[in-house]
Amino acid sequence: MSAGPKTILVVDDAALVRVYYRSILEEAGFRVEEALNGLEALEALLGKPADLLVVDINMPQMDGLTFLRVLRDRADPLAAIPALVTSTESAQADVAAARAAGANFYLLKPVERGQLVEFARMLCGVAP
Amino acid sequence: MAELPAPTEDEFRRLCEYLYRRTGMVFNEAKRYYVERRVWDRMAATESSSFAIYFARLRTDMEDEIQQFVNAFTVNETYFYREDYQLKCLTSDLMLERVREKQSGDVIRIWSAACSSGEEPYSIAMWLLENWPTVDDYAIEIVASDIDTRVLDLARAGTYGKRALMRLPPELIGKYFDALPGELWRISPQLRDSVSFTAVNLVDPDQTWPHGQFDVVFCRNVLIYFDDASRRLAAENLYENLFPGGFICLGHTESMSRISPLFEVRRFADAIVYQRPEIKQS
Repeated sequence: MSAGPKTILVVDDAALVRVYYRSILEEAGFRVEEALNGLEALEALLGKPADLLVVDINMPQMDGLTFLRVLRDRADPLAAIPALVTSTESAQADVAAARAAGANFYLLKPVERGQLVEFARMLCGVAP
Repeated sequence: MAELPAPTEDEFRRLCEYLYRRTGMVFNEAKRYYVERRVWDRMAATESSSFAIYFARLRTDMEDEIQQFVNAFTVNETYFYREDYQLKCLTSDLMLERVREKQSGDVIRIWSAACSSGEEPYSIAMWLLENWPTVDDYAIEIVASDIDTRVLDLARAGTYGKRALMRLPPELIGKYFDALPGELWRISPQLRDSVSFTAVNLVDPDQTWPHGQFDVVFCRNVLIYFDDASRRLAAENLYENLFPGGFICLGHTESMSRISPLFEVRRFADAIVYQRPEIKQS
């Protein structure tokens, strides 16, 4: 992976959530790209790969789990981008479903500032 | 166009009547200068040589003149974080009450019902990002409307001068605005995309109801331009646009109790707001 700031693709249909995560992640030194749903995220990644995905579950057009399944099924390096799922779905079954779809970690919304940065750094391999 | 003829007494009265029917705003002899100034501007802009010619143009809505005319009459003086005690109230009380009956991931809808050039809805978005720690726990939707399409264009463009930003701490300006040459600042594209703008006349239910129900409505310093009848009409429309238990914030000089009995007064630490009563459990 290239030197310089790591790029995180935030995939969430709620505009304020994207602004919120962007402000936290940019402050921590990441570059941030945005997509409004799974379909947009796939398209964005084909144009420019990211170092980490922060993915919501409930989204229109293509939800987060479908997106991860499609992504993990690919035969190219995009399939291996780590993914942090953030969701308001708190049942054990939801966590298991996210894992099965290819999530590396699952954070329950509301996500705390420090927690988001900590997991982003860990999954991107950036020293704190 | 230095010598524009003034409308006659009768023409003036007809114009005010017309303005009232279109907008609910009341103008009378006392506001004659204010009205004439704006009519002259529109007459000059449309190269109408007499008031009669202009009025004909207005009534036939030639080249969208009605909207242009309405635009000339609305007052658009505002700035970011104006009456911020209500924003404090939003995050310290109103949102807490509204989420009590919601689940994580549910939509919270906020309406800035007379948004002018966008300072109010963008202030709400910024305030929530800065002061509502669980902003990602709900899908917050901010709708912003105004009767004046010209200010809506300004709101979408999101470019502001020093005056509009005077109450904002510098760190927020750095965070949510891009500096432009000539002491101008543009709202960040991300923040702009968090607000949806639309034209709405508050006294016309056909224009208000399609926007559905909201948790909190900001309608500050608007109803003061209406007469009693239009004010009541607007209040009734706004009532329909609130969920039971939803809140409406008016300007600090305004009182809903004087306008309509539909709402309950709620006194919180930071502000007085009005609430559509909850549906009583039987």
